[in-house]
Amino acid sequence: MRLGMVIDLKRCIGCYGCQLSCKAENGTPPGVFFARVLKQVSGKYPTVQNTFLPVLCNHCDDPPCVEVCPTGAAFVWEEDGIVDVDHDKCVGCRTCMLACPYSQRFFNDETRPYFGEGGATPFETARASHHQTGVILKCNLCRDRVRDGGKPACVENCPTVARIFGDFDDPNSEVSHLIKERGGFPLRPEKGTKPRVYYLPA
Amino acid sequence: MNIIDPKFGTLEAEEKAPHEDNTWVSSSCALCYGSCSIKAHRVDGVIVKIEGNPDSVVGKGRLCGKGVSGIMSHYDPNRVTKPLRRTNPEKGIGVDPKWKEVSWDEALDEIAAELVRIRAEDPRKLLLQRTTTVTASRLPFQAFAAGFGTPNHSTGGGGLHCGNGAHLISGIMHASWGVLPDFQYCNYAIYFGASKGHSAGHASTSNMGMAADARARGMKMVVVDPMCNFAAAKASEWVPIRVGTDGALALAMCNVLVNDLGVIDAPYLKAKTNGPYLTGPDKRYMRDAFTGKPLVWDERAGGARPFDESDPADMALEGTFSVDGTACRPSFDRLKEHFLQFTPEWAEEITTVPAANIRRITKEFADEARVGSTIVIDGVTVPYRPVAAIAFRGSQGHKNSVYNFLAVDLLNQMVGAADVAGSCLGFNPTCHGHPDTGQPWYEPNADPDGLMITGMWMGYHYPYPVGAPRLPQNIGLQDLFVMSMTSPFLDSTDREKLWDDMDLPYRPEMIINYGSNLLMSIANKDVVAESLKTYKMIVSFDVLLTETSEFADIVLPDCDYLQSKDSRSNFPFIFSLPAGMGEWCWPIRQPVAEPQGEQRPMAEVMLELADRVGFRADLNAGYNGAINLRPPYRLEGDKKYTYEEICDHDLKNNFGPEHGWEWFKEHGLIKWDKKPEEVYWRAFVDVRVPIYWEWMIDTHKEIAAIAEPRGLQIPEEYYDPMATWLPCLSHEEHGEGFDFYAFYYRDIIHTNSYTMENPWLDEAARLDPFSYNIAINTESGRAQGLADGDAIAVETSTGRRVEGRVKLTEAIHPEGLGIAALAGHWVDTMPIAKGKGVFFNELLELDYEHASPVNLNLDLCAKVKITRLEAAS
Repeated sequence: MRLGMVIDLKRCIGCYGCQLSCKAENGTPPGVFFARVLKQVSGKYPTVQNTFLPVLCNHCDDPPCVEVCPTGAAFVWEEDGIVDVDHDKCVGCRTCMLACPYSQRFFNDETRPYFGEGGATPFETARASHHQTGVILKCNLCRDRVRDGGKPACVENCPTVARIFGDFDDPNSEVSHLIKERGGFPLRPEKGTKPRVYYLPA
Repeated sequence: MNIIDPKFGTLEAEEKAPHEDNTWVSSSCALCYGSCSIKAHRVDGVIVKIEGNPDSVVGKGRLCGKGVSGIMSHYDPNRVTKPLRRTNPEKGIGVDPKWKEVSWDEALDEIAAELVRIRAEDPRKLLLQRTTTVTASRLPFQAFAAGFGTPNHSTGGGGLHCGNGAHLISGIMHASWGVLPDFQYCNYAIYFGASKGHSAGHASTSNMGMAADARARGMKMVVVDPMCNFAAAKASEWVPIRVGTDGALALAMCNVLVNDLGVIDAPYLKAKTNGPYLTGPDKRYMRDAFTGKPLVWDERAGGARPFDESDPADMALEGTFSVDGTACRPSFDRLKEHFLQFTPEWAEEITTVPAANIRRITKEFADEARVGSTIVIDGVTVPYRPVAAIAFRGSQGHKNSVYNFLAVDLLNQMVGAADVAGSCLGFNPTCHGHPDTGQPWYEPNADPDGLMITGMWMGYHYPYPVGAPRLPQNIGLQDLFVMSMTSPFLDSTDREKLWDDMDLPYRPEMIINYGSNLLMSIANKDVVAESLKTYKMIVSFDVLLTETSEFADIVLPDCDYLQSKDSRSNFPFIFSLPAGMGEWCWPIRQPVAEPQGEQRPMAEVMLELADRVGFRADLNAGYNGAINLRPPYRLEGDKKYTYEEICDHDLKNNFGPEHGWEWFKEHGLIKWDKKPEEVYWRAFVDVRVPIYWEWMIDTHKEIAAIAEPRGLQIPEEYYDPMATWLPCLSHEEHGEGFDFYAFYYRDIIHTNSYTMENPWLDEAARLDPFSYNIAINTESGRAQGLADGDAIAVETSTGRRVEGRVKLTEAIHPEGLGIAALAGHWVDTMPIAKGKGVFFNELLELDYEHASPVNLNLDLCAKVKITRLEAAS
C-alpha cells in the first residue's frame, strides 16, 4: 500500500480549510504548515487565471529527504509508504530541508506560542506539547487518524471535497481512477522523486 | 532506507493515561453567521479540536478555515474575564477608559438603575445593538427590546454593509433573506458582486461543497466583479466591471433578453408576477371599481377583469387597452418599452463591459433557460429553468442599492427562473414542518393585490407590504423610510439635524451592545465616535476589548460560542440553511467549556437585567411573540425561566415534548427530508411577485409629504416603479488625480473585524497576497510609478485617508482599488489584530447624501487618489 492524495483544482476555492484544519490537528507552531494554500495570478487583464494551489509533503516514492538524512530519523513506513520523522533520532541538522524540492520540511527551533508573551494556550499545551524542539516537523498524512480508520484532517475537512486520499498501489482506488481519467499531474516531476500528491486540472 | 522502530509513532507506543473527560460535543460554530454545525473535542476540560458535524447538513461535516480556528479565539489570553467599569469620564478614540474591575452585582445594579430611569421616562431612549456574527443573539435581544418597549435595535454594520438591498428584494421577490443558484440543477449562473459558495455567511460551508459539485457537474459560472478573487477565480468567465455599475449591465441584459431575443416565460409572467396588471396614465394599477382589485386584460373575454377572476393564460402581457375610456397597458408592456433605452452600447459606456459580451452572455442565459421545460424530482413534476442571476453585497452595496439588485433579479423573472428547479432560489421560504409535529410551518401568502408576503422573516419589518410612512419615532427613521432596515442615522453626521427636523420626540441615551464594533463596522471612525460620546451610558458585552469597548461605561465579560447555549443556531431557515433538495436540519448550540474567570452568557444576563428592572412578564411576552410559543409552551406571567428553560420550550414547541433541551444536548440536532413542493414552492403556492413596483409612487409621495416640508428632499427618480440606472456619487466625481474606485470585499479567512485577532487566521492572512494589501491593477499602478509592496496613502476628496501596502495584480479592473475585509484595528487590547490590514470604512462618509433614499443602504465605494509614501521594504 502506498498512500497518497489527489487534489482537484477545479473544486478547490482557496478557503484555507486544509491549512487551518491541519494546524488544529497537529498544533503546529507559527510558521510551520504541513498544509498550505498558495495563490498565483497568471495571464494579463482581463484574461487572467487566479489559481489556488494547496501544497503538502508529496510523500515521494524516492524521497531525497530520507536519502540524505545522516541519522536515520527521516524514514518511510513500509506498510503504507508515508514519509515520516523519528524525532528521537533527529538531530536537527536540516540537511533534509535543503534536499526537499517542495520545501515541506520545517525546523522547530524553539517553543513559540501563538500569542507570544500571552503564553501557550491550553490548546497548545494539550496539543503541541509532544513537539520536540531542535527537530524537523512535517506532514505524516495524519498517520494516527489513518490507522484509526480515518482520513487525514485536511481531507476529512475540505469543504469542497477537493482532496481525495487513497492507495496509489491499487489500480481500482479512487485516486488511481481520478489520475487516469482526469489527467492528474504531480508538481516538479523533473526532480524525479516520484511524488504521491497529484493534482487534477482546474 | 532507514530502519523503523515498529512501534514508533503508533498509538500503542504512547502510554496514555485514561482521560477522565474525553468527549465530542455537538454544537454550532459562530466564527461567522453561517453557524455551521460542529463537534468539539474536549479532553480533561480542554478543547483540543473542532471539526464539522457530519450528521448535519449545515456544513456537512466540514468547516472553513475560520471554523477550525475557533479554538484560538476561544483561548485568546486577551479575553475579558471580569466586569469592568470606566473611571475616566472623558471618551474618545485612544482615550484610556481607566478600567476598574467591579463585581457583577455592582455592574448590574448600575445598569439596572439606568434602565429603570429610562423605562420610566421613555423606553425608546434605549438602543439595543448587536453583532451579525452570532445569529442566535437576535432572539434574546429582540425579546428584550419588545419587553422593555424600545423600537430601537440594530445589527452593527450588518444591513448597511450587506443586506438592505439583498434582503429587502430577496424578501419581496423570493420570500427569503437572500438568493443563490439551485446548485443541484443549475447549468448557468451569473453572479453580480456575490460570492455564494466561495466565502463566508449564509450556509457558507455547505454552499462551498454544493457549488463545487455544480462546477464539477458542468455548471457554467459567469462572475461579474471588479476583482478576480474567490468566486471569480472559479468562474468559467470573469466579467470585470466598473465598481457599482452592475445595475446598468443587468438592465442592458434585460433589454437584450426581452426586446432583441424575445425570450420570456409568458405563462410564468402571467400567473406568477404582476406583469399582466393594467396600469393607467398615472402609472398606477387600474382597479376594479367594486372590489378594488388590480385589473388585467382578459383576452378571451375581450375586457378587463380583476386579476383573481381571470385565467392567467388569458391575461394580456402586451398591448394598449381602454378601460372605461382610460388608456392603459399591462405593467409588463411598460417594462418592456422601458428596457429599450438600456442598449448594450449604452451599458458599455457605464460598465466598461463590451457590448458584444453583454449580447453573448444574455444569449447564453436565454438559451440555457429552457423556457417551458419541466423535470421530475422525487416523483413530482416541477418547472425546470437551469439558469440563475444572483447578486449580493458587492452589487447592492451602493446608493443605487435597490435598482441594482432588482435589475439583476428581473433577469430571472423574465424567464421564470425563480424558485423552480435549477433556477435562482431563495433559501428555504417554504417549510411544512417536521413530520411528527408539522412545525415549524411557514409559506408565502398573498396580499389583497395578489402579491407575495413572505412566510418567515428575521426582524425589523416584513419587506412587503410596505408600511405607511409616518413622522419618525425610531432613531433610525425606518418608520419614515419604510423600505429600509438597518439605518445610517444612528451615528451619521446629520443625525441630530434629522432628528430635530423630523421632530423626533426623544433622544437616545443608552446602548446595550452585544459584541459589535461600531467604531469600525459602519463608516469612518470619527463620525461614529462623535455619536457614541453623546450617550449617557454604554454597556457592552464583549469577549475582547475592542475599539468600541473603549467608549463603554461598563464592559461585561461574555461567554463565547463554545461556552453558550442557543436553541436555534440555524433558525430561521431562510438565513443559513442550505437551499435546494436535501434535509431540513435544526441544530442547537451548547457549552463545551466552562466560563473563564467571571464570564457569563449574555442571554442569562439579559434575563437577570429584566428581573432587576422588573419587567419579566413583558420579557416573557416578548419571547412568546418572538418565537411564536404556543400553549403549553408559552412562557407564563412573570415566571422566572432560565435561558435553558426558554430553549427547552422553544424546542418542544416545535418538535414535541420528547424533543426538549436534554434530547438535543445528546443528539445535537434534528433533521427530516425536504419535499420538492417545499424547495420548488413557486409552482405550488398561489402568489405573484412584482416586476413593476407600483406602490413606489405612493410611498414616495407619502414620505415626501412628511420629509420635504421639513427640509429633506426625497428624490423621485429613486421611487419609479421600474428599475433604472442611477449612478453612485463616486461616478460623478471627476477631480484631478481621483482615478480609482475604492471598494472592499469579503475575505475568505476573515469575518467582520472579529477574526483579525485570531492568530492562525492572521498568520494565513499575512501569507495571502491580498488579505492585508491594497490591490491595484498592474498597469494602472505602474502608470502611477508604483511597485509591489510600496506604501501608499489612499484619500477621498473629503480628506478621509488610509495607508497600506500595494499589491499589483492583473486580476482587478484598471479603475478598481480593492481592500479586503474589515481590518486595521488600533487598540492594544487586540494585539494580534492591531495594525494589520487596511481599515477601508475610514473612507466612507455617513450621511443622508451617501445613503439610498429608499432603503438607506450606504454607498460603499469611494473615488480616491493615491500617493506613494515609500518604496517596498
